[in-house]
Amino acid sequence: MQKTNTVFNLALQRLRYHKSRTLLTGIAILLTTMLLMGIATVSVAMFDMNRQMASESDYHAIFDGLTPDQSAVLFRHIQVQAMGTTEIFADIENGKMNGALIYQESVRDDRYPDGEDGLAALQIESGHYPETEDEILSSPAFFRRVGAEPIIGGKVTLSFRVNGKGEIQTKEFTISGLFPDVEIAEELDDSRIMWSAHVSKALLSQYEEDGLYQPDLSVYLRVYGEEDLTYDEMEERINAAAADVGLSEENIILNKQYLFTMTDPGTEIMMIAGFICLVVILFSALVIYSIYYVGVITDVQEIGKLRALGASGRQIAGLFLCQGAVVSAFAIPAGLLIGFLLPRFLFPLVLYAYYATALTSTSRDAADALFGQIHMFSLPALFTVAAAVALTVCLSLLKPIHMAKRISPVEAIRYQENSTDRKSRKGHRQIKVTTLTFANLMRNKKRTAVTILTMGLSCVLFICVSAVLSSVSAEDMARRNIAKGDFRISLDYSRHDTEYTENNLDSLVQEDYFNDAFLAQLASIEGVEAIERDHGKILSSTEIESVMYEDYENRLPLSYFTKDDIPELNANLEQGTIDYDRMTANHEVICTHVYSFEQYGLSIGDVIPLTLHDGDREIPFTITITALTSPDSDYPLLIMTEDTWNELGLVYDPTTNIYLYVKEAQYDNVKEALTDIVAENEYFTLFSMDVEMRIGRSQVSLTVYPVYLLLALIAVISFINLINTMITSIVTRKKELGILQAIGLSDRQLVKMLSGEGLVFTTGTLIISLTLGNLSGYLLFLWAKKSHFMSISRYHYPLWESIGLALILLGGQLLISRMISRKMEKESLIDRIRVEE
Amino acid sequence: MKNNSDIILKTEELCKYYGAGDNLVKAVDHINLVIRQGEFITIVGKSGSGKSTLLHMLGALDNPTSGKVFLDGQNIASLKADSLSKIRRRKIGFIFQAYNLIPSLNVWENIVLPLGLDGKPLDESFIEDIIGTLGLTEKKHSLPNTLSGGQQQRCAIARAIAAKPSLILADEPTGNLDAKTGDEVMALLKTSAKKYGQTLIVITHNEEIAQMADRTIMLTDGHISFDDAASSRHNTAEEVEDHAEN
Repeated sequence: MQKTNTVFNLALQRLRYHKSRTLLTGIAILLTTMLLMGIATVSVAMFDMNRQMASESDYHAIFDGLTPDQSAVLFRHIQVQAMGTTEIFADIENGKMNGALIYQESVRDDRYPDGEDGLAALQIESGHYPETEDEILSSPAFFRRVGAEPIIGGKVTLSFRVNGKGEIQTKEFTISGLFPDVEIAEELDDSRIMWSAHVSKALLSQYEEDGLYQPDLSVYLRVYGEEDLTYDEMEERINAAAADVGLSEENIILNKQYLFTMTDPGTEIMMIAGFICLVVILFSALVIYSIYYVGVITDVQEIGKLRALGASGRQIAGLFLCQGAVVSAFAIPAGLLIGFLLPRFLFPLVLYAYYATALTSTSRDAADALFGQIHMFSLPALFTVAAAVALTVCLSLLKPIHMAKRISPVEAIRYQENSTDRKSRKGHRQIKVTTLTFANLMRNKKRTAVTILTMGLSCVLFICVSAVLSSVSAEDMARRNIAKGDFRISLDYSRHDTEYTENNLDSLVQEDYFNDAFLAQLASIEGVEAIERDHGKILSSTEIESVMYEDYENRLPLSYFTKDDIPELNANLEQGTIDYDRMTANHEVICTHVYSFEQYGLSIGDVIPLTLHDGDREIPFTITITALTSPDSDYPLLIMTEDTWNELGLVYDPTTNIYLYVKEAQYDNVKEALTDIVAENEYFTLFSMDVEMRIGRSQVSLTVYPVYLLLALIAVISFINLINTMITSIVTRKKELGILQAIGLSDRQLVKMLSGEGLVFTTGTLIISLTLGNLSGYLLFLWAKKSHFMSISRYHYPLWESIGLALILLGGQLLISRMISRKMEKESLIDRIRVEE
Repeated sequence: MKNNSDIILKTEELCKYYGAGDNLVKAVDHINLVIRQGEFITIVGKSGSGKSTLLHMLGALDNPTSGKVFLDGQNIASLKADSLSKIRRRKIGFIFQAYNLIPSLNVWENIVLPLGLDGKPLDESFIEDIIGTLGLTEKKHSLPNTLSGGQQQRCAIARAIAAKPSLILADEPTGNLDAKTGDEVMALLKTSAKKYGQTLIVITHNEEIAQMADRTIMLTDGHISFDDAASSRHNTAEEVEDHAEN
């Protein structure tokens, strides 16, 4: 009893005596705990947020294109827990407005036997779901858009095309119910909004009886087993149910986000998560280890003294572990607390950021509703973090004990870094401040390496995550709609409308809307700098009906590629080969949509006879598919070489898109002018960059900001790690630096020397983080692209993040060197020389 | 008449106090000293008598509480830190009891360090000469931790002499050495100082060393209790007479 007290008291005394070291190790432990806890808390919060958002749409899958018979079989399926159906009855015809009349029904939900809150249950603010054939239900915003007063019992007249084809019907409806109102961001162009209104089963039946409507059902489905099965097993069960009703897999749309959050993850996800945890724990272990390592010599010396006085190995281990335990007892709980509180307060800011970019009030409301509800605390996570840190501290503490054991007590007392393996040094004839810097770094290469490695690793983590984040770009998303320039005017055309043939592309090209006069009109707008046409598109019918699906309306879009496009096409090549000259010679084409390629049952080597429609002309043309690629840029389904295209001898201008480049200052004026021009022609749609960016940002923000939060945590902790390392390395050399000053090292030279050391650390760190970080970042990007994370497609080098990192490291270490030497100046030189660690 | 031209170091009412009130410690209390070029002085006294404190103030390592220290006629108590660094590396050579070599530098580098800090061109033959005199030629590339105590202290002496300072201050240079090595080191220090015309001030507890000196100053509780300035061969005949009369 007495013994342990002695050891414990000695431990306390030592902690008190080495005040600055105690503080620094305490800070290191605290920060590491904070990082781990921060990551755990943010992860728990993100998981919970996803879970809450996912529960808004709690179906497991959508089965598309079901017939009523298949739906009936599914209804009786033993594995089905709930199902709701949605039928798109008709497309609304109202100028440029996109809209549909739909019918939705919750046909079965075993979770709610009373049928109240079924799968397809809607939140109706007032009124009821349409029952008679003239009733209609939608949001007040919808009714305002179609020029009706949004009140129950109000009348609204709508034009629509049943099944999206046939003759336009016009009908007067009575408003039977209203959804909560939706506010829509003003700059959101009409063409980007998908409106919908609900009509009654009675209406659908009436048209069906008249032979004017062919039901095309989408079924929202839940299967049993959400609580017990893993993601993979759930997927299997859903696919089995689809197979049972004769539905092929491409018609199944899994609600992946919901399934991910609600089921036990599959093995792949578990492995990835485990790997990330391991990396973070390894990283934090290194941080703590490196802090202890810097001061290890003093410990070895003290262990020598204690051993010389007769302390047993157990007592020494006890002493050091005691010290670690005391420091940890303060640092770990503090770290846990801060690591939890920091995200707790920052996470709402993330939601605010999303709130600011949200395009409709409903998504804002959703974010609003999440405030304060997100569950961020997880006891298992807390215990895991605490245990991981405690273990690391133990392992780091055993290091000096281990080192001291290898040598005799007397040697341990005199222990100097590397004293055992270096006897001499070639050295320099003349000494400069830089010589001092390097001599000190080289004295303990291992310590220098450990420090650089630790700092480097945290920055690798930073750069790696930034690489992925900077590739999640709102602009990339925007560029999908406006490939180049600031505006795009696109031609709205149908491929094969038999009822209204004037809407088809072959008719529209005869009108020559994008003629030179029109382009001249655009060019005359003040601020327009350049105008470009796209390659143009031509439609073709094919005699092989079987390869076609109905939604392509029996017309395949074709265009061409130039030699300049080959690198991009090759970079994303999935099958076959691309050889420009061979392709020209043989009329070969590339398929650019992997999904369609599979869906249409195409394969490399397919020879397809086509009829190209150049306005009123028909050109017979046989193609061979020789390559499949998935380029980032948007190409029509099939592309031939430019030379082949030119051989076609097209008479009409096939341009379907005009791109405009404008001066930034006159953007708004140009937009106004273009809006007016586009309004004059019902076939024109205007895409403007500001709107696309806004949409892109809104999509990006909710995923990206929490990760940025994490990134900021990592950055702060790496930076404090740098400070800590530098302070520790200076504090432990206080006497040596004092001697240097006693023999004439000026304050300025001291700063230069310390900055030099910091610079080496910084440079090393930067080299590691920029090489290893970028490499792993690129690999992570490839993985993210493959798994369609945030529809990442293009790699963006994290330039600003890298520059920021470099600046912060450089500035930080210069500042620290200056601050430390400033602080040292205050202590008298004599005290420093006399200091005995 | 005093010849003022060869005064290298002079103090006027030099004081260094620590603490305040009841805890006030007068480590150095109103000391007036005149030290001339080429003198070899030992400072003796009991532990806590203020020897080291005095030496540190003479060597521009510590600031006095009050009073002045003139080095080559310049009051160093009023100088800024950077100027003091310059003075330390140009005019003063320090030798510590604990050698205080820089562990990451080899013997040669430790010796030329003050010169390097000053950015002075290196007089290599002079350094080689010192190294030869101190018997360190074989050890030039060795790191300090591989040297014996005597070798380390010889290295420290070489470092103190290398910049050709006018003043060498040594704080118990033989304190960590055995008697034989201590004598050797002291003899070398004295020889070198004489050879290069440097003023040498040594703190010691060692009677033999004190006897080797031209002049011995004894400190008691921060005051000079004895100064055998009379024995100094550099004092004028008149001063010796004055001293004898006193």
